Amino acid sequence: MSIASGRILVVDDEPQIHRFLAPALQAAGFEPLRAERGEAALRAVAANAPDLVLLDLGLPDMDGHAVLQKLREFSSVPVIILSARDREAEKIAALDAGADDYVEKPFGLGELLARIRTALRHKGQPEVSSQPLEFDGLVIDPASAKAALHGEALTLTRREYELLLLLARNRGRVLTHRQILTALWGPAHTEDVAYLRVYIGQLRKKLGASFSARLSTEPGVGYRLQE
Amino acid sequence: MEKPRPDPDALIASLRQAGRGHLKIFLGAAPGVGKTWAMLDAAHTQQQKGVDVVAGLIETHGRAGTAEKLGELEALPRQPVPYRGQSLEEFDLDAALHRHPQLLLVDELAHTNAPGLRHAKRWQDVQELLEAGINVWSTLNVQHLESLNDQVARITGVRVGETLPDTVLDLADEIELIDLPPAELRTRLEEGHIYRPDVALRALDGFFREGNLGALREIALRRAAQRIDRDVASYMRLSAIPGPWPVAEKVLALVGPDLSAQNVVRHAARLADALRAPLVAFHAEGGDDNTRVQAALDLAVQLGGMAVTVNARDLAQAVLDYAAANNITHIVLGRDAARWRPRRRLTESLTRRATAFTLHLVPLPAAPPPLTAAPRPPRNWEPYVLAGVLLGAVTLGGIAAQSYLPQEAMGLIFTGLIAAMASRSGRNAGLFTAIIGFFLWNFFFLPPLYTFSVSDPQDLVALLVFLLVGLLTGTLAGRVRLEAVSSAARVEALRRISLFGQRFSRAATFSDVLRGAAEEAASMTGAGIVLLQGVNGLEMEVCVPAEAVLDEAAQAAAEWCYSHDMETGIGTTTLPSVPWRFLPLHTNGTVTGVLGGRPKTVPPPPLAQTLVTLAGQAAMALERARLAMQTARAQAQEDSQKLRNALLSSLSHDLRTPLTAIRGAAETLAQSGTALAPAIQADLLTSIIEDTARMTKFLSNIMDMARVEAGGLTVRRERLRLAELVEAAIARIPGAQYTGVNIAPDASHVLADPVLLEQVVVNILDNAMKYAPAGSRVAIQAARRGEKVRLAVSDEGVGIPPGELEAVFDSFFRATRGDRVAPGTGLGLAIAKAFTEAMGGSIMAQSPRLDLPADGLPGTIITVELPAA
Repeated sequence: MSIASGRILVVDDEPQIHRFLAPALQAAGFEPLRAERGEAALRAVAANAPDLVLLDLGLPDMDGHAVLQKLREFSSVPVIILSARDREAEKIAALDAGADDYVEKPFGLGELLARIRTALRHKGQPEVSSQPLEFDGLVIDPASAKAALHGEALTLTRREYELLLLLARNRGRVLTHRQILTALWGPAHTEDVAYLRVYIGQLRKKLGASFSARLSTEPGVGYRLQE
Repeated sequence: MEKPRPDPDALIASLRQAGRGHLKIFLGAAPGVGKTWAMLDAAHTQQQKGVDVVAGLIETHGRAGTAEKLGELEALPRQPVPYRGQSLEEFDLDAALHRHPQLLLVDELAHTNAPGLRHAKRWQDVQELLEAGINVWSTLNVQHLESLNDQVARITGVRVGETLPDTVLDLADEIELIDLPPAELRTRLEEGHIYRPDVALRALDGFFREGNLGALREIALRRAAQRIDRDVASYMRLSAIPGPWPVAEKVLALVGPDLSAQNVVRHAARLADALRAPLVAFHAEGGDDNTRVQAALDLAVQLGGMAVTVNARDLAQAVLDYAAANNITHIVLGRDAARWRPRRRLTESLTRRATAFTLHLVPLPAAPPPLTAAPRPPRNWEPYVLAGVLLGAVTLGGIAAQSYLPQEAMGLIFTGLIAAMASRSGRNAGLFTAIIGFFLWNFFFLPPLYTFSVSDPQDLVALLVFLLVGLLTGTLAGRVRLEAVSSAARVEALRRISLFGQRFSRAATFSDVLRGAAEEAASMTGAGIVLLQGVNGLEMEVCVPAEAVLDEAAQAAAEWCYSHDMETGIGTTTLPSVPWRFLPLHTNGTVTGVLGGRPKTVPPPPLAQTLVTLAGQAAMALERARLAMQTARAQAQEDSQKLRNALLSSLSHDLRTPLTAIRGAAETLAQSGTALAPAIQADLLTSIIEDTARMTKFLSNIMDMARVEAGGLTVRRERLRLAELVEAAIARIPGAQYTGVNIAPDASHVLADPVLLEQVVVNILDNAMKYAPAGSRVAIQAARRGEKVRLAVSDEGVGIPPGELEAVFDSFFRATRGDRVAPGTGLGLAIAKAFTEAMGGSIMAQSPRLDLPADGLPGTIITVELPAA
C-alpha cells in the first residue's frame, strides 16, 4: 500500500464514523479534518482547502445536496459521497451537481481508500487535450478520432467513439446517465436512458469480454470505466 | 341486404331455458277427458325407451282404469301432512328432488298444497323441480287458469277455487291438448268412468251439461292455439324473421275497491295476452277497502303485469296523466253501477275525457265470488252504540230542559251530534245518527208530542231540512275523516321511511345498520330480524326482541327467500304458514341477506310497501357501511405501508451507521492495528462494542414493535411496587442525572405487567436523555388520581412543538423529520404507548413545562396513567 498524502475533510454527524475514519485515514497517510454540520463543512473547505471531501448526505442542519452546490460555487475539490443505498435520488443529484464519486454505507475501508486515491489522481487535470489517451492496451487518439485495443483498430460509430472517449477521460469516476446523455446528445435528451443502454451494450461487444468487464454499470446511477 | 339480427331479448329468454327441466302440460277442457291417462300412456312409452320415469303424484280419483294404468311405474310415497285433525296426503317435493329422476309425473298442476308445506301451490313445487333440472309432466284443466276464471264461472256457474297464474302455462315447453268431444265425455260419465254413479248423475245436469262442455272445450282449444301462436312468434323473433309486429300496445287495468277489481285485472290480462302487450294494474289510493285492492294488484303481478299505486284526489285525471305518460293504449275498468256519487262516476268521466284511449268496460261479477273475495272485516258496532247512548242523553236532556229550549234548538243540537259522529266514526255512523235523530226529534220535541205525525207544516219543512242537512254533514264529515285517515297513514309511512333513511345515514358501522334495520322492522311489525350469508350458510345477525327465534320452518322460509331472491312467509305464496315475512336484501345486484319481520296480522299493503322500502334502504346502508369498511381497511393498509417505508428508512440509517462504524473500526484495526497508538486502538474497540449494543437495542425495539403490531402481546396484571420498578428502569439508563424520584404514598402500587412497564419507563427515560443537553436533569413523580396512578417523567430538553405532541408516539416519528435529529430508532415512545395501552393505561406528552424558566429549554413531561392497586 503506497503512502499517499493530502488533507481529507470528513463531513458526517455521526461521531462513530469520525471515530474510526480519523485513525484509518491517518494510518493511510492522510490528514483527516472533521466537520459535523454543513455550515462547518463549508467553512472548513474555505479555510483549510482540503484535497478531498468525504460528504455524508444526511446532515442535521442542511441537505447534503445544498452543501455540495454551495461548495461548488467556490471550490473544485473532489467530493466523494458517503451514502445509503436507498438514497439513490440524492446520490444521483449529488453526482450531477458535481460530486466525483460515491461509496455506499457500510463501506469497506480498502474500497474507500482506493476511491480517494483515484479522485486525488484526477484532481486538477481536466483531460480535454487532444493528446492520445492510453491505458491498459486501449489507445484513443482524439486528433484522428480513432481507437484501438491491444493494437487492433476498433470500428466504432461516431457516438460509440464519443462515449468511449468520455468514459476514458473520466475513468475511475462514476458518470451519471444524465451527465453522459447531456455530453453526447445534448440537454434535451437527459431522460433517454434506454438509448444509452443500447450504446453501452454495443460498446461492450466491440471491446470484447475481457476489457468490457472494466466498463461497470452502477445500478440506477450511471457507468464507470475502471482503471 | 344485411341479414337481420335475432332479437337479443328473445335469445336470452331461450338461453335461460337451457339447464332447467322441460315442462310438458297435458291440457284438458274438463275433468274426465283423459289427461292423466294420456300422460301415463306417454310415460310408459318413455320408460320403454329407457328413460328414468317416476310417478311423483298421480290422482286416480278412485278410477280403477287409471290406477291400473299406473302399472309398474315407480311411484314416490306421499307425504302425510296433519291438517285440522286429519292427515292430508301431499306430494313430497323433497323426496322428488332427492330421487331426481329424468322425468317426473305430477298430476293436477292447479292443486293447492296443505298449509305448512313449502309452497302454497303445486305449480310452485313444479317450478322448483324444473329449476333443479328435472323434467316434469303435469296435467291441467283449462278452467283453473287465472285469467279464464271469470269466463268459466260465467259459462258454467261454478267458480273454481284452485287457480294458477297464466304464466305457468307459458313456462311449459310443450302443451298437449287432450281433446274429447262433449258427447263422448258425457257418455263416459254416464258409464261411470269418471265419477261414482250418484255423483255422475248430478254432474251431468250441472257442470257437465253439453253446452258447458262445448264452451270449455272451445276455451281450451283457443288457449292452446294462442300458445302455438306465441311459439311461432317467438320462433320468428329468435330467427329474426322480419314480420308485421304489433305496434306497442299497453293495457292499463284500473283497480278500485269494488267487487269487479279482480275481474277487471283478469280481463285486462287476457287482452294484454291477446295483444302481446304489457299489463299495468293501476290503483289510486283512497283509503277504502285495501284487502280487495291488494288482492287484485297481486293478481295482476301474478298474471305477469306490473302494479302501480298513486295518491290522487281526481281519479280520472290521475288515470289520464299516467296513461299519457306511459304510452297506454287500452284502459280496462269495471262498470261501477252502484256508484251514485258524481265524483266517483269514473266511467262517465273517462268516456268524456279519455279520447286517446280505447276503453274497455268489464261487467260486474254475477254474484260476489265466495272463494276469491276476501272476507269482510266484522262490523264494528261500537260507534252505533255510542251514537245511541249520545242520542238518548241528548233526548233526555232536551226533555228535561224543554221549558227553556225552543224545539228548533234541539234540531241544531242533533245536527251537531251528527257531524261529531260522522267525523269520529265515519259516514255510516253519521247517517245512522241522522236517521235516529230525525225520529227522536219528531217524536219527543215536535208537536204533537209522542207521535210521529207533525201538525205544523213549518215543522215538517224544518224536519225535512234537518234530515237533508244531517245526511249531508254526515256524508261530508265522513269523507273528510276518510281522507284524514288515509293521509295520516301515508304521512306515517313517509315518516317511517324518512326516519330510517335518517337513521341509516347516521349508522356508521355494519352492525349499526343491522341493528337499525332489525329495530325498524320490529317497530313496524312486532319483531325484526336480519340474517346474512356467513360461513355456515345464512346466519342470524341481529334479532329484536332478542328472545325472538326462528323455528325450523321460519329458517327454511328465510333460506328460501335468500336463495330464490323472493319474499317468503306470511302474506306471500311461499311458505305462507310461517309467521314471519322475509324480504331479500340486495347489495350490488346480488342477495346478501334477508330482512324479516313478524307481523301481528297479514300485513296490510302500506306496511308491506314500507317493509320493502326498509329492506331497500337497509341494503343500501349495508353496502355503504361495507364500502366504508373497505376504505378503512385500505387506509390501514396504506398506514402499514407507510410504517414499512419508515421502517426501511430507519433500518437504512440506524443499522447502517453502527455497521459502518463497526466495519471501519475493525478494518482499521486489522490493517494498521500495531501502527496505531494504543489509546486509539482501545477507542476503536470501545466503539465496536458500543455500536454493537446500539444495534442490539435497535433490533430488540423492532422486535417489540413487531410483537405489538402482530397483536401477539400477552399482558399480565400484577400488583407492582412502583418505586422498585422505577429503580430498575433507572439502573438501565446509565449517565442520567435525576433531580429526584418522588412517589406519593397513595400511589405506591399499580396494576401492570412488570416487564412491559419497566420497558415503558426505560423508553421514556431514554427519550428524555436523547433530547436533553448533557448535564440536564430528569425528575420522576407519581401521584394518585382517583382510581389511577399518574407517573410523570419531566426533562429539561428541547421540548416538542405544539403540533407534534400527539405524533411523538407514532412509530418512526423521528424518521419523518429527516434523520440525524438524535440517534435512536424512533420507536421508543411508540412502544411505550403500545405497551401502556395494552396494560389498560394511557400516555400523553406535555410541552413546554410550565415549571421551568421561560428563557431556558422548554422541557417535556411524559405522563403515564395506570390503574392503581
